Amino acid sequence: MALTAERTEPISILQRERPLRPDLMLVLSFLALSAIGIVMVYTATAPALELAGADTATTMRRHAIFVMIGVAVFIVASLIDQRALLSLTPIAYLGSLVALFLVLTPLGTEFNGARRWVDIGPLPFQPSEFAKIAVVLALAALLGNGTAGKVRWDHIARAIVLVGLPAVLIFRQPDLGTMLVFGFVAVAMLFASGTTWRQLAFLVIAATVGAVGIFRAGALRTFQIQRLTAFLDPSEDLAASALYNQIQSEIAIGSGGFFGKGLGQGTQTNLSFVPEQESDFIFTAVGEQLGFIGGTIVIALFGVLVWRVLVAAVNGRDRFGQLVAVGVAGMLMFHVFVNIGMTMRLVPVTGLPLPFMSAGGTAFIAFSLALGMAHSVWMRRSPVPGE
Amino acid sequence: MPDVRLALVGAFFVLVWLGIGVRLVDVQALNADAYADRGFEQRVRQEELVAVRGSILDRDHQAIATSVDALTVIADPTLIVDDVATAQLLAPLVSRTEDELIDAFASDRRYYVVQRGLTGDEAESFKLYVTANNIKGLFYATEPKRIYPFASLASQLVGFVGGDEGRGIEGLEYRYDEELAGVPGRQVVERDPYGNPIPQGHHTVEDAVHGSDLVLTIDSQIQFTAEKMLEEALLDTGARSGSVVVLDVQTGGVLAMANAPTFDPNNRRHAQPWIFRNGAVANVYEPGSTLKVVTVAAAIEEGIVEPSTVFDVPPEYVIPLEPEPKIYQDVGHEDTLAMSVGEIVARSSNVGTILIQSLLGNETHHEYLASFGLGTSTGEFPAESAGSLEDATDWCVSTCGPSTAIGYRVGVTPLQMAGVFATIANDGVWMEPHVVDAVIHDDLTVDEYEPVSRPVLSKATAQILQRLLMGVVVSEEGTGWRAAIAGYTVGGKTGTTEKYLPDQGAYSETDRIASFIGMAPISDPRIVVAVVLDSPHGENEDGDDLKFGGVSAAPVFAAVMEAALHDLGVPPDAP
Repeated sequence: MALTAERTEPISILQRERPLRPDLMLVLSFLALSAIGIVMVYTATAPALELAGADTATTMRRHAIFVMIGVAVFIVASLIDQRALLSLTPIAYLGSLVALFLVLTPLGTEFNGARRWVDIGPLPFQPSEFAKIAVVLALAALLGNGTAGKVRWDHIARAIVLVGLPAVLIFRQPDLGTMLVFGFVAVAMLFASGTTWRQLAFLVIAATVGAVGIFRAGALRTFQIQRLTAFLDPSEDLAASALYNQIQSEIAIGSGGFFGKGLGQGTQTNLSFVPEQESDFIFTAVGEQLGFIGGTIVIALFGVLVWRVLVAAVNGRDRFGQLVAVGVAGMLMFHVFVNIGMTMRLVPVTGLPLPFMSAGGTAFIAFSLALGMAHSVWMRRSPVPGE
Repeated sequence: MPDVRLALVGAFFVLVWLGIGVRLVDVQALNADAYADRGFEQRVRQEELVAVRGSILDRDHQAIATSVDALTVIADPTLIVDDVATAQLLAPLVSRTEDELIDAFASDRRYYVVQRGLTGDEAESFKLYVTANNIKGLFYATEPKRIYPFASLASQLVGFVGGDEGRGIEGLEYRYDEELAGVPGRQVVERDPYGNPIPQGHHTVEDAVHGSDLVLTIDSQIQFTAEKMLEEALLDTGARSGSVVVLDVQTGGVLAMANAPTFDPNNRRHAQPWIFRNGAVANVYEPGSTLKVVTVAAAIEEGIVEPSTVFDVPPEYVIPLEPEPKIYQDVGHEDTLAMSVGEIVARSSNVGTILIQSLLGNETHHEYLASFGLGTSTGEFPAESAGSLEDATDWCVSTCGPSTAIGYRVGVTPLQMAGVFATIANDGVWMEPHVVDAVIHDDLTVDEYEPVSRPVLSKATAQILQRLLMGVVVSEEGTGWRAAIAGYTVGGKTGTTEKYLPDQGAYSETDRIASFIGMAPISDPRIVVAVVLDSPHGENEDGDDLKFGGVSAAPVFAAVMEAALHDLGVPPDAP
């Protein structure tokens, strides 16, 4: 890949070198996943709402509004040049730290034992979702600036600080899943930037030592430890309760079979054997109602999405943009793998949403923003000879 | 940026994707059926629908045993705020002690049965008390409870239920447990995690088949009288136990079957288990003189003797045996007397009866004993004994015939002896004794008892016997005069036998089995009453020895028979 020379002036939309054409495969996958998400949120929430005597579309309508906002955010982000993005990076990073700090103040609200939200305006806002993007931007800015295929140890040290600051704040919430996202995205971006294998080994060992240290220090909440130990040894008594969600989810997906039970016919999900099925366990609803076919389609759509983002990374015109795309791809992939893996008891429960499908406003908008950023990188890709 | 690195990142992503894919195939394609089954299993619940246990009714359809809804009081100790105060409030109303309650309330269990089986007003006032005192943490459940409204009435016959399931463990409750229990229904229903039925879910109901009601031939009025008289007899005579059987002559239906001492099945905790035994069908004794009627009836039926046939009856009948001879004695005469068959019966002459038996022969004698129902059980009664009757070929040649003639060597139950007399009363036709007249099923179909009968004697012979038995009661030298009832002609036979002690292998020197079995009215016998007392002793106010059936059992017979005749509205046939 031939990298273009660094530009000194920002490029505006009007100065573009080629017409900005959207990546249709990426956009259509994004829209298809969002549409399936809306339908699944409806089927997952309607029965309980009906039972409560409420409008069955309440949750779905709310989610649909976020989807529309998210699509708008995606379009806007697609139109922002990565130069402008680079200049916004410090603000985004510092803003995220402040928001994460606010969560721990009395402004933050607690739900299910975790403090992840800030009540600003009419809707609860989850800063950690945006912190993921801020970390991607910050790392891209750090590593994209003159590393040119070589990552020095001081880059690694600075990267650890950049990731560590928000990670500590998120650890206090606590939100183990998001911390893991940070770690994975950081390693992926450092690796793509050209860390030596020795540096990579150091990072992996450091991460492992850090994780064991956290575990040993007793800093984890009881429910987190139970989820992990139960996952590793399901025969333990506590497995029954700690693994309940996962086992129910697994049963639901398995009972969907090849063709699924049909929309709205999910006896396990629609009858709320599976908890959180409109948010973290949305894939369970897909698996049960749409079966192996539906599950495969969803996983394939995510595959297309991540593939297109990686293609953007390959073709990005500058290292910052490329690394942003790598970070977005890593972030998406990690969420999809951990979330879907969790619903099928492939990995422990961590509480990461499924991108573009789980109900939850902040996450949807954050993922749309991230995808839009990667899309922007693709649209402003390096000229390909002959084009 | 190195292409290789991005390619490696891409390759890693592909691997991860494959991981998800493999798992998806594993869960949804390869093992889908197993997961579907697990899901179905956790949605589907099999629920039992209670089958209400049938009632046991007397012949007028009054319940002797029935099931009612009773209140079970359950505590959730975690919801009880003040353990001690709550225990103090509840202790006086329940069968648990205050300390037991405090311990239970202090525990962290969620389910504790405070009291079971509160019925009717008891249940209502308990609930009011709980509300009035603002006691928290109590819940109520309804469970069926077996109650016996007439308490001890026919308790050994009816029996009782026990155990957690309330299955019959004694008496008719045991014998007819399957019919009474019914078949619990099953409801298979798919439910969501909150227990709500799933509207489109799998739902099958097999209705419970409630238990059948048993309609007995028992007449509660006669039963009550029989129990009362028997209880008084035990007090008056010091008898260890006793049984009374009252038979409807024409049907063989048991109008009363009483045993003493008795117990209340509603509260049997302190009763000794032997009292649960239905002695009227389970106790085997040697009937003695009452069995002489079979010897005489057979001889008359076979044309060997007539009532007027006269025998020279010596006071003793000696069978020469080594080392010592077997001597049968008559009571009340020292010299050889010329007695008619009628007099032999009336005076209950052992020697005279042995002389008649010697003309009859063992073979024929045995045929009649068996034909009268001895040695076999009807199978109609729980814990019923068949008694014992050896085949004639097994009888010894010397003493067996004579001993059997006067009612030894044959083991009988009070019910069997009542059956013998009922056969005579019924003009020679043996009707199988029974107590369950009908079984009314849940679907209201009725299984009626089908009579089993067989002719044993001709009508003429039977009527001769009836007259002879009347002689026992009315004649001057008769042994049964205490059985007489004003307004009715009565016939019957006394019996007094040495009590055989199985554990000692010998006859008791002091204890006797005293009995009186008879029928009335002789003009058209309707009722047979058998009274058997175990070891009455002492003397009555006239100074007569109570160990004799004519002294101790005959008055009980008279009282029960009189009540039964009145109760059934049998018109008097004597001045």
